[in-house]
Amino acid sequence: MLKYSLRRLLHSLVTLFMVLTLVFLLMRLLPVEGYYGERADKLTPAQKEAILRKMGLLDPWYVQLRNFYLQLLRGDLGVSVIYRANVPVKEILAAKIPYSVAFGLGALVLSLVAGLAMGIHMAQNKGLFWDKFWTWYVVFINAVPGAVYLLFIQLYGTSITGLPMLFDRYNVRSWILPLVSMSLSGIAANAMWLRRFMVDELNKDYIRLARAKGMSSRAIMVKHVLRNAFVPLANYLPASILFTISGSIYVESLYSIPGMGGLLVTAISRQDNPLVQALVLIYSSLGILGLFLGDVLMAILDPRIRLEKQGGAR
Amino acid sequence: MMTAKEKEVIQAIEEQELFTFAQYDPEAAERTGYSDYSYWRSTIRVFLRNKTAVFLLILMTSLVAFTFIQPYLPGQKDPIKIHIDPNTGLQLRNHPPDKEFWFGTNSIGQDLWARLWSGTRTSLLIAIIVGIWEIVFGTFVGAIWGYVRPLEAFLTEAYNVISNIPTTIILMLIAYILRPSFQTMIIAMCATGWLGMARFVRNQIVIIRDREYNLASRCLGTPTGRIIVKNLLPYLVSVMVMRVALSIPGTIGWEVFLTYIGLGLPLNIPSLGNLLNEGRRVMMAPALRYQLFFPAVVLSVITVSFYVLGNAFADASDPRNHF
Amino acid sequence: MMSETCIKTQSTNMNTGVNQGINPAVADGALEAEQKAKKAEVILELKNVRVQFKGKGRKPIVAVNDVSFQVYKGETLGLVGETGSGKTSIGRAIVRINETAAGEILFKGRRINGVIPKELDREVTRKIQMIFQDPMASLNERAKVDYIVSEGLYNIGGFKDEAERRAKVEKALLEVGLLPEFASRFPHEFSGGQRQRIGIARALIMEPEFIIADEPISSLDVSIRAQVLNLLLDLQKKKGLTYLFISHDLSVVRFIADRVAVMYKGRLVELADTEELFHSPLHPYTRALLSAIPVPDPRIEKKKKVLVYDPSCHDYSKDPPRWVEIKKGHFVLANNAEIDQYLAKIDAGGLANEFLWLQ
Repeated sequence: MLKYSLRRLLHSLVTLFMVLTLVFLLMRLLPVEGYYGERADKLTPAQKEAILRKMGLLDPWYVQLRNFYLQLLRGDLGVSVIYRANVPVKEILAAKIPYSVAFGLGALVLSLVAGLAMGIHMAQNKGLFWDKFWTWYVVFINAVPGAVYLLFIQLYGTSITGLPMLFDRYNVRSWILPLVSMSLSGIAANAMWLRRFMVDELNKDYIRLARAKGMSSRAIMVKHVLRNAFVPLANYLPASILFTISGSIYVESLYSIPGMGGLLVTAISRQDNPLVQALVLIYSSLGILGLFLGDVLMAILDPRIRLEKQGGAR
Repeated sequence: MMTAKEKEVIQAIEEQELFTFAQYDPEAAERTGYSDYSYWRSTIRVFLRNKTAVFLLILMTSLVAFTFIQPYLPGQKDPIKIHIDPNTGLQLRNHPPDKEFWFGTNSIGQDLWARLWSGTRTSLLIAIIVGIWEIVFGTFVGAIWGYVRPLEAFLTEAYNVISNIPTTIILMLIAYILRPSFQTMIIAMCATGWLGMARFVRNQIVIIRDREYNLASRCLGTPTGRIIVKNLLPYLVSVMVMRVALSIPGTIGWEVFLTYIGLGLPLNIPSLGNLLNEGRRVMMAPALRYQLFFPAVVLSVITVSFYVLGNAFADASDPRNHF
Repeated sequence: MMSETCIKTQSTNMNTGVNQGINPAVADGALEAEQKAKKAEVILELKNVRVQFKGKGRKPIVAVNDVSFQVYKGETLGLVGETGSGKTSIGRAIVRINETAAGEILFKGRRINGVIPKELDREVTRKIQMIFQDPMASLNERAKVDYIVSEGLYNIGGFKDEAERRAKVEKALLEVGLLPEFASRFPHEFSGGQRQRIGIARALIMEPEFIIADEPISSLDVSIRAQVLNLLLDLQKKKGLTYLFISHDLSVVRFIADRVAVMYKGRLVELADTEELFHSPLHPYTRALLSAIPVPDPRIEKKKKVLVYDPSCHDYSKDPPRWVEIKKGHFVLANNAEIDQYLAKIDAGGLANEFLWLQ
């Protein structure tokens, strides 16, 4: 187990290293206007050059790359130049991450509870009205861009229920609509996935055997099907939890939630290069970390994978 | 166990009675394993059984056809022409739908009906170009990845690296670096879309590459390129059709997303994303919500239809559903 | 009996034949010449071939281990063994789908495994063909029979123009008893037996000399197996083909093969002329196999004693087994003690009675 985890960790580190390098190279392609700050138009070419030089952007690329790695090793994410001039990126993030994580985790729990319930309901009514009804829900959510249905939820959700349209951290009622909006696609994904899993699983011989032995449907569901269903779930859960940090771009901007969701958009639209770079790095690292944790967690839960990947089976 | 008596009885039976020769029927023997099963015929049959899908197919075919012939129909207006109110001499702003302007005008007096179809055309065009690229490039990479074993490890690593960066970020970065335009939009989406297709094709190829007929081809010395084209790709045509159908709502969604965050097409090119954004700006005034409503409905119908069609085709093309 | 030196210098010892007629299987030059004089020319030879696959862990899975045998021109060599014994891996190693980890495969005296010149590769591709087990899986469902049959021709440039290619396809189809107009159809329109014949036509069109038939009839309906077997025999007679016939069905092998090799867990355990093998099997595994052949007479079948092979009956810890020619043309995998035992049995001549029902 430990050996597998270490190997997997090493693999993740290599991937991380390559992603970091790739991001660095991509960043060199960004328009340099993003480094001058607010007074870009008033600067003389000489001043511009001085700024670039000060930031080390005129050094040879390998020196830049080395500095980039060293900076990261120190945990330094750089300083914002436009969004909040001269404020360290870390400080900006510290103010925003709690909101995104709070909403993200809330939405994750909601989408798990509601999604799994919906999935079970669909599998039990396979081919009947409710299965079809929920399937249409899933199709709609998957096919239509979030920008469209989220807009209508805000528009009519507030006017029909009287819930507040903008987020206010002290007003619990203002949390409801954003939370529901955020969990809609998760509910759809969980429901569809669990339905498919259960339909496949219920056709397997060991379930037939359990049935033949006289096990109740409920016991079969709980003891066999759902238990097995949690193994693949464990694979993607860590990544989902980590990604709550990145927040939801649509929902946060619609309800004016001061979270991470809009930050990357703002940074890009206002051309704050150091902020863009820091955010891209964070998101990519989160992805790699999430996959790593997911694989390790899955190996703990599913002995087959552990053995297969360790090569101890034969 | 047999009793002694039973044994006796059996012993007493003449040998001929124990066994009788079955009649040999060469006709019947020839027919074993015979079936008049035809893959495409069955696929179409199963697809046609799905009434919703058939309806949506007809709907989409007519809609796409209409979108492309609409500008040539009589009495159509120019989507970017700003109409002037003859009474006031000002722009005909936010004119509600009537006989003249079927879907009304927008906040600067452009005809929403014309803009809507022009926008649909733009968005579909992007989606189709990206879809075709996804097929061509994704299949190419996927086929090599799945079939050329020396490259397998390298491509797997490359995939792991690229797929670790969220699509949203890649899209935004490319759109940011290149500045908004029609080409940028296409390049950005082409840069990300093929990844999923490549992995998909690769997984399919891994499933079928070791089937016996591929071994037979290798025995005959068939070069890898022809094995891919003749033995593997024909089996993938159906899944490719499905992927394209499913990629259309995906691409439209990304277009809406990029527009939403301000990296979309320039305003003088109507697209579904642009129209939706224009509608969003005026949505707080109930009287003007038609500007949001019309694009949203058309966009939803298109995305849902292609999504359903893709899935229906996927079901129909799965041989397990053919019996 | 056998001297120590003889064991250690298994493949280089020049005078092994002196030792009570025991020859190491890997023949040296003198022996080869001797055999050539007596029998036909050797078309294919395997020398200590080993095939292994990447296992799940670090340890490779050895599918074929130290296998040596010769195939003579014009004969049919049957290769029998249970599922997973490595018989298919041998066949695939010869057609170079599976790589060999050690040893040599010689076709007409030239090495064909590993890296070989392009022109030899072309020649071998043409002259060694394979017939596959499952006619349902071995034909490309999305290609017309015309393409399937002429696929090999495209690769070797085996035709000048379209007309010649068509003529060749037509001829190949006729040879296997199919109508030329079937060329424009798809495989799913044919029955199992017909599909197998398409597979044979696909091999024949290359004008091969050596054909590996990998369980060619085991997935066919019992009633048409004979047809396909007879077709193979006819073609052999007409074209002087050599077959390596891989099967798990001893009765079929007895019907078609001139000589039979028995395989167990990646190693050959016995090889002899068909009748010799069926009359006087030596290796306990062969004997177990033979005893398991069903007899179409319930009275005998009932009394028949089925032997069970237990690999632990060999004590190979101190004295590892070798592949030896214990009698002219009769090879067996045995160690010194067993060789003595087998020789004694042969001398006594009392083996034939054991499998009386097979006679």
